[in-house]
Amino acid sequence: MDPITFSIIRHRLFRVVEEAVITLKHVSGSAITNEGHDLMVSLYRADGALLMGGVGFLHHLTSAAEACKAVIRRFEGQINEGDIFLLNDPYTAALHTSDIYLIAPIHHEGRLVAWSACFVHVFDIGAMNPGGFAPDATDIYSEGFSSPGLKLVDRGQVRQDVWDTLLNMVRGPEMVALDLRSMIACNNVARERMLALIHKYGAPTVDEACQTLIEQSETRLRERLRELPDGQWQSRQYLDVKGEIYRVVLTMTKKDDELVFDFTGSSPQSKYSLNCSKWASLGGLFAPLFPLLCYDITWNEGVIRPIRMIAPEGTIVNATRPAPISVATVGAIQSVNNAACSTIGKMLAASEKYADEATAVWHANHFAIFMFGTNQKGGLSIGILTETFAGAGGARTFGDGVDIGGEIPNPISRMANVETIEATFPIRYLFRRRLRDSGGAGHHRGGAGAEMAIVAHDAPDGGIDYVISGKGSGFPMSDGLGGGDPGGVNDYVWVHAADGEQSPQTRFAASVDALGGEKQPISWGVYPLRGDDALYVRWNGGGGIGDPLSREPARVLQDVVDGVVSPRAAAELYGVVVHEGAIDAAATDARRSGLRGGRLVTEATA
Amino acid sequence: MTRRRISPTLVQEHGAICCAACGHALGPAGLPWKHKAALSTLPAAQMPGAGSGINADVLLRRFACPACAALLDSEVALPGDPFLDDIVAA
Repeated sequence: MDPITFSIIRHRLFRVVEEAVITLKHVSGSAITNEGHDLMVSLYRADGALLMGGVGFLHHLTSAAEACKAVIRRFEGQINEGDIFLLNDPYTAALHTSDIYLIAPIHHEGRLVAWSACFVHVFDIGAMNPGGFAPDATDIYSEGFSSPGLKLVDRGQVRQDVWDTLLNMVRGPEMVALDLRSMIACNNVARERMLALIHKYGAPTVDEACQTLIEQSETRLRERLRELPDGQWQSRQYLDVKGEIYRVVLTMTKKDDELVFDFTGSSPQSKYSLNCSKWASLGGLFAPLFPLLCYDITWNEGVIRPIRMIAPEGTIVNATRPAPISVATVGAIQSVNNAACSTIGKMLAASEKYADEATAVWHANHFAIFMFGTNQKGGLSIGILTETFAGAGGARTFGDGVDIGGEIPNPISRMANVETIEATFPIRYLFRRRLRDSGGAGHHRGGAGAEMAIVAHDAPDGGIDYVISGKGSGFPMSDGLGGGDPGGVNDYVWVHAADGEQSPQTRFAASVDALGGEKQPISWGVYPLRGDDALYVRWNGGGGIGDPLSREPARVLQDVVDGVVSPRAAAELYGVVVHEGAIDAAATDARRSGLRGGRLVTEATA
Repeated sequence: MTRRRISPTLVQEHGAICCAACGHALGPAGLPWKHKAALSTLPAAQMPGAGSGINADVLLRRFACPACAALLDSEVALPGDPFLDDIVAA
């Protein structure tokens, strides 16, 4: 095939995915899709192999491939032109029940030539807690409906009995219907554009280009791996649910042109729903691998071939049915993301050629806070606080991380603006801003996370309730690199109004300290936001890189002036003494000398 | 090449893992090195910016060159958890 035709087809495939994403967003009415970009669209070969991975949450790329393969097995002989299948069972392929896959075969002249697949986190899935994250669940049976594969659209016609059954099991069926229609439209556009491509260049040519594209990706990744040093790198992530601590432990071994991710040593599966399935773990390790190792390589089956995963059955990274699993995406999967990001970052940092591609761990602790209740218009609102997608960049070997700079597993993640949330829910923001001392200290500082507080406002029921889950607020998770500190920790605080109400001043408090009343740390369960109570949330920054004592004092001072680093952190972590807005050079020299000397007081080894 | 980068702070030189800043040898190449470093620990709860829910036991381990005090690596750990060993093949 001539290289120009190949290149055109490759770009057209990417554009097919791009246009399908646009369609998904145009039809969807959910903030989690349109604002948070909790979505994914990709193309797959006729056998279900990943052909063209799109943007969105990248841990879905391989899981949706497995979903295609599961449907191919289940519906052999019954896959027809115009069909669309639904799959959301985590023990078959999905990540958790709320992330529904709609996958569609693409036929050309009666022959199956490809698949398109997409997901959104639907408005509700009928789990015991609204919104799909179910911290109260004790098994998957209480986490909403769960299908290992069903035909939703038969030869272009929605199966009304199936449609009605699905919508009969969820809260806000009109919104779930819109979610499903957005995915149907997305798949329809993908099919139409794919067929237009085939009509223009011919099926054999497109097929050859697709096969070549996969082979090219494999060849290029193997070449890259051979350029990187052989070795093994380890990472460990802690998760905390109600005081119970779990570990995701990773040893990544690189030899020649292959990588093995071994999660042996990770904690046994939990009674809490932070577990994930093996397909989710596989997707979880690929989410950072795609952008960090394959930033210039097409994300497809060729990238998957040199990679192997070991995930012992019965652990939180390969849970067995019927373990609860609904919190996986902000639980064990993200810990896998973080661990893989850390080990890949260390491997890149070990290479002269690729050191500039290394990164500390980015925003490592999602929080799933789903508000639910009657909104100011009298309707039902269910939805996530999209601030969890705002993230924070890990430091790079050449520069600081980006403040509130997103996250590695989703290149297009973002948060809604305050006004959008206030228009959707009966709440009012007291403040939302960068969080001081949240970015990991280092020669290159991790990007800052942020903090916010909300109160009920104009609520017909006097307030609203929310479901909170995640990995807790007990542990730093955005690991540093090369001596850099980890990013700060999350924090969730229920501020009980003193005597049931806040003073006029605290109703407009600009900081958590200015809020009166008892402050109760929370991290798991269902809580009210009523009366004059407030919810304070802060999220972690990215990890730092390198020795904080080698950061130029002027840059530390600028961080203090900008409000990103406190004078205390400047002194204790960076050894920079700031006095009356200026650097005290003599005190800084003495401070740094003292901190360096303190490092040589050796402690007992682990 | 006798000097080869293996991390932002470490190099392999003459068959040994060495501090990139001063060249101090921390052990043979291809083997764990952290037990040869100067270890200091800091409770994460005492770090600036710690949240109200932070685990009281979690530590930040800092590994420094015993010769020049250059910071070589850090890791988050609970007491008793083993060092994270990163090994670049010799």
